[in-house]
Amino acid sequence: GAADNRGSAKLSGELIAYKSVNDLPPPKDLMIQIDQKNEAILLPIYGTMVPFHVATLKSVSSQQDTNRTCYIRLIFNVPGTPFNDSTSSKFQGSIYVKEVSFRSRDPRHISEVVQLIKTLRRQVTSRESERAERAT
Amino acid sequence: MADGHSFNSISLGGRGGTNPGQLRVHSGGILWKKLGGGKAVEVAKANIASLTWMKVPRTHQLGVQTKDGLKDIHHSYDISSLTNFFQSSFAITPEEKQLSISGKNWGEVDLNGNTLAFLVGSKQAFEVSLADVAQTQLQGKNDVLLEFHVDDTAGANEKDSLMEISFHIPNSNTQFVGDESRP
Repeated sequence: GAADNRGSAKLSGELIAYKSVNDLPPPKDLMIQIDQKNEAILLPIYGTMVPFHVATLKSVSSQQDTNRTCYIRLIFNVPGTPFNDSTSSKFQGSIYVKEVSFRSRDPRHISEVVQLIKTLRRQVTSRESERAERAT
Repeated sequence: MADGHSFNSISLGGRGGTNPGQLRVHSGGILWKKLGGGKAVEVAKANIASLTWMKVPRTHQLGVQTKDGLKDIHHSYDISSLTNFFQSSFAITPEEKQLSISGKNWGEVDLNGNTLAFLVGSKQAFEVSLADVAQTQLQGKNDVLLEFHVDDTAGANEKDSLMEISFHIPNSNTQFVGDESRP
């Protein structure tokens, strides 16, 4: 692949979470799910589980208010941010999903999701930078 | 009204997740009733603008686009007999839509009536109803934020509910130039 880009942004052009609809995990409850095998984050949007590849994600954070309601915020890579210039020139004219936030009734589930995403991101990023290094 | 078909365990999707119920299609239209009574959703034949099928994991999803721009989503298993019925009774052939599963966060936004669809390479990633949008906000020059109503009743069977989505529209995008109120 292209060795002149760094980090996870390099993935953007070729990342594919799933090849077929049948590869998606069976829908459980409508809640945020992490598919480690396919490196995907599945978000419940209008009754459908929508996959996002973990490499499109820039950051994830959660917070809890006084009523024990939990909020999770996912921020995705968009052009114009560092390390991401390759995407902006490649996919001109596209519109990007930049940020998605959810409210949850289950703080334990949310902290688990944040943990899983962070671990998965670390794995994918280190694997990709290793691959890029080997290519040079 | 003896004509038509009834289907059990069809869930109605929407902002607050899915609800199980029964779907009845008859020559006068489409009716969905919540399991155990309560909520019913009826769409008269005259009010149906278009129908779509989409393959989702394990099942199929029927989309009903009404002339008011409302959108009901039903999950169903048996599509061929229903397709025939729609063709003969409503003279509408359901269009097939494909679900985007590539996991990309860039694509196109398609506004159709009250629905906003996000498409990745002509496949649909998700759809939201603009009727549920409480507020839109322009953030900076390139970002549009949609805030959804926080509804405690709708989210009853859903653990995580959607609150906000924002879209980034690069300067290079020419589709929505000059339209600053909506993405």
